[in-house]
Amino acid sequence: MRNTLLAALVLALPGAAFAEEAKNPAAPRIAYFTLVGTEMNALVAMVKGETEYDAAKASRGAADLVALTQYSGDDLMAPGTSNADLPGKTRALPKIWEDMAGYGAAGKAFGDAVTELAAVAGNGKDALAPAVAKLGGTCKGCHDTYRAKDF
Amino acid sequence: MSGPVTPPEQLETVKLWDPLLRLFHWSLTICVIAAWGLGKFGPNDMTLHFWFGYAVIGLLAFRVLWGFVGPEHARFRSFAYGPVAVLRYLGQIAARSPSYWRGHNPLGGLAVFVLLALLIGQVATGLFADPEDYLNVGPLAQYVSTATARMALNWHDILSNAVLAMVLLHVAAIGFYRRWKNEDLIRPMLTGRKTVRKKG
Repeated sequence: MRNTLLAALVLALPGAAFAEEAKNPAAPRIAYFTLVGTEMNALVAMVKGETEYDAAKASRGAADLVALTQYSGDDLMAPGTSNADLPGKTRALPKIWEDMAGYGAAGKAFGDAVTELAAVAGNGKDALAPAVAKLGGTCKGCHDTYRAKDF
Repeated sequence: MSGPVTPPEQLETVKLWDPLLRLFHWSLTICVIAAWGLGKFGPNDMTLHFWFGYAVIGLLAFRVLWGFVGPEHARFRSFAYGPVAVLRYLGQIAARSPSYWRGHNPLGGLAVFVLLALLIGQVATGLFADPEDYLNVGPLAQYVSTATARMALNWHDILSNAVLAMVLLHVAAIGFYRRWKNEDLIRPMLTGRKTVRKKG
């Protein structure tokens, strides 16, 4: 139903729909996590054997994740950008802003896992695999609590 | 309220539930509880949740097959009643006497269909769900779009609550039959034998 409505809207008002997309205040946050996901995807592909393990490439990917964790996320978490404020544009639950301490702790767990990953990423696939699994666990830990399952 | 008392000469104890059906029932009980608990409270690595889910798929496949080729009381046709029969059964369910029903009664049969449909939906959405944690990605998620995998994850979550509600209703109904109607439905599912009203 909602998809049909969205499709009708997009078909009827392409210009307006794209303008609306550009105005999405949650877009920078989504872009940030897209970058995180891009690096993570490349590392997971190596662990799963979908691509050849490459120590230099794995280290660079881990270093990029470290760089991303050093990015101050304050602007990304502007108030008024939850899925209650921007239905259909973000999956960030209002709980993030109600429980900033908990969200910060989830972020710290992610940061710590990235640090651990960076230390071992170049030491071979067997060293990389558990570190990637641990990092994936911190993704899940945060998604379960602070992200809606769908838009 | 007291229901009509069925004279003992109209009753008989028969083999109602076949051994495979009973094995299926208790295996499903274990696998669904395990998968559900691991899904909600388990570790971040959900490998065990996945394996219990695969076991549920196997059990559901057996049950659907058994619904067509199994013994009489396992067959879907034997407990697929229309709305009139369900309402009629519902109308006299409050009677404080055992149902002595041979097989699934109309309401219970409906509950079986609902529960099977929910579980089929639950395992199907689980196969395609992608929680974007790079760890617990449904085995078929890679073959569908990101939006579809996300929708599957959402429905997997919604259906998990529906499955819980249905299981609680099922257990409550068993309790109701035991306490209110003085009819033990657990023992027949263990031994296969149940006291029922004679045919004809």
